[in-house]
Amino acid sequence: MAVGKKDIECPPYAEGTPLSDEDIKSGKVTYVEDHPDIRYSWTAGQAISRFLNGLKEGKILGVKCNKCGRIMVPPRMFCELCFKPIDDWVELKDTGTVQTFSISYIDPDARPLPEPIIVAVIAIDGASPNMGIMHILDEVKPEDVYIGMKVKAVWKSEEEREGAITDIKYWKPLEG
Amino acid sequence: MKMIEKIVNPKELRHWDGKIELYWIYTSGKAGDEFFKKLKDEEKFIAAKCKKCGKVYFPPRIYCEKDFGETEFVEISGEGCVRAFTVARLDAYEKPLEKPEIYAVIDMDGTDGCLIHLLGEVEPENVEVGMKVKPVLKPKEQREGKITDILYFKPV
Amino acid sequence: MEVEKISGLKFHKKQDVAIVGAGMTTFKRRLNETGRELSYMAVKQALEEAGMTLDDIEMVVMGSAPDTFDGLHMKGEYLLDGSGGSDRPYMRVFVGGGTGVFAPIAGYWHVASGLADICLVVCEEKMSSSYPHPQSAFKYIWDPILDRPLNPNLIWIFALEMRRYMHVHDIKHEDIALVSVKNKANALDHPCAQVAGKITVEDVLNSEPMALPVRRLDVSPPSDGAAALIMVAPHIARQVTDNPVWVTGVGWALDTTWWTNRDLYFPRYVAEAAKMAYRMAHITDPRKEIDVAEPYDPFDYKELHHMEGLGLAKKGEAPILTREGVTARDGDLPTCPSGGLLGVGNPIAATMGVKACELYWQLAYRAGKRQVAKEVTTGVCQAWGDLMQVGTVMVMSNKR
Repeated sequence: MAVGKKDIECPPYAEGTPLSDEDIKSGKVTYVEDHPDIRYSWTAGQAISRFLNGLKEGKILGVKCNKCGRIMVPPRMFCELCFKPIDDWVELKDTGTVQTFSISYIDPDARPLPEPIIVAVIAIDGASPNMGIMHILDEVKPEDVYIGMKVKAVWKSEEEREGAITDIKYWKPLEG
Repeated sequence: MKMIEKIVNPKELRHWDGKIELYWIYTSGKAGDEFFKKLKDEEKFIAAKCKKCGKVYFPPRIYCEKDFGETEFVEISGEGCVRAFTVARLDAYEKPLEKPEIYAVIDMDGTDGCLIHLLGEVEPENVEVGMKVKPVLKPKEQREGKITDILYFKPV
Repeated sequence: MEVEKISGLKFHKKQDVAIVGAGMTTFKRRLNETGRELSYMAVKQALEEAGMTLDDIEMVVMGSAPDTFDGLHMKGEYLLDGSGGSDRPYMRVFVGGGTGVFAPIAGYWHVASGLADICLVVCEEKMSSSYPHPQSAFKYIWDPILDRPLNPNLIWIFALEMRRYMHVHDIKHEDIALVSVKNKANALDHPCAQVAGKITVEDVLNSEPMALPVRRLDVSPPSDGAAALIMVAPHIARQVTDNPVWVTGVGWALDTTWWTNRDLYFPRYVAEAAKMAYRMAHITDPRKEIDVAEPYDPFDYKELHHMEGLGLAKKGEAPILTREGVTARDGDLPTCPSGGLLGVGNPIAATMGVKACELYWQLAYRAGKRQVAKEVTTGVCQAWGDLMQVGTVMVMSNKR
């Protein structure tokens, strides 16, 4: 084993060959493009199945742990803090409080959206503090949203509901 | 409603369908780019020889895996011997193939490396381990700098 | 996560652990080299600094984030040969963005336990392979049933966290933007930097909105790159160098994946990880005892958030320290002197190059133009990731 280099500035050099999008398109370098067709079917499990079935009926369901007393949403079959099965199912209200929000100008692929959308974490009324879900806000201007704002779910019609998180179209301000 | 009252009617259990909508562009890298360009433009095969230990890598790399010595590109014939082979009768989705395909691991002459590729112009019952083979390339105008620029290897 | 559980941990080790060499490639939006080739380049540089050859390496740890970016399953195996892992005990570790400090923590286990005297740690990421955009790959970390139908972009959760942090402490975007200004300027002195530059607070506030409050210049870019570190036992350190840097504490912790059930204003995951690392390093007052810090800065607010989690600032105080110049390279607590992810780039796991590697170079007085003005003995580096729930922390010192 030799003695390592001393008194050098690190990193001593920067290696790597940068490429632009154009370099790829113009075939400056060789490459392979692959479009795999990968499909999945995720089981929802006991708790989320019941939650989704509840949404279909226009209800938001939570669960309760009698040990720590928390009422949790989204529901789960066990309390992750007490590490025991939950004790009860609880019907929550379809109102809540904006915990935090963002105004998104981009879609999942970082492409611009035609109109910005408002996304928020909403603490659901009837559940323990901070128990929220992520969802969309509408019928409100971005500049009028504030943390602490009370909101109410706007549901799809009964026929349209399919037991999905999108059965709630969006949340709107409770007043006004 | 107690937790023990689990959903017992399987119709009430839900699932969710989805797919991964990504696609990928893989650059061939420094050594790969050199290899594919030589193949595409000059119909030549190159390997990479470690300047330290002399091991010859195919497909070529810019470094020796064993001692991290630098390598230099060396030209090779592109011919080789069948080290092992399999006869595929089903495709990747387990559908029967019209014609069986022979895939072989080919020991490349003048190197310590191998390549997996198709064998052609030979019937499955005539393939033998140790058989000498040489590459058949696509016509120049159809070559894209990909491994499929080699159509198959055929018996010498 | 109970505090008692962390403070109840016992730290047994067979031997101390020193760092004697580090290396990294350039960080760029897209590099021609394959992940293997990038790994090789980083390792070669680390071996050169340590005066070692691959023969000297006993075990190898590889860190790399989700396979979806490179588009290769079993990425650890794919990267094996370029990481110098052939014919050796080799493992891949992964905690999303936290990997850049988690991989050296895993290297620390190898040496501290006495299993190895010389362990090489390599981190690699090639995000450019993913199309239509590297951000598209992030779609698949969301819950498929509850989150994905809403068409989320990963930036949402950071925007939501940033808003909550700003709200609770009444912090202005101007104060947060100062971090981006500082780090991008620091990166001008880094030869590997992707997005270094002289910008102003106004530039940040006027940059393109992505998911407000997050704007383009609040965010680090996706990058390709690799980094490497060599961790050794004391008797090896003595052979190869007069000034090794010692790893004096490591810590890691995860908060619940039910992220909409947490109050996002404070990074408890970092606080718990820091508590563990500081306890191991016998640090009781981090603000006084830490001379230089490399907290994880994929977003400008994250540096502030993490400083508070690391106990380098009180809750809500990090923006004030930044405004007063305390965190500048010539300040009392230089923070992200490398230029960080905001300036040098964000090849997820390979950010080890601007976190653990930079801290080593700072404490070894090898950071050149980036060397902080004050005299340094002890520093901390940290990373963060998964569904914004993991904190990984490493404390280093140039005194044993």
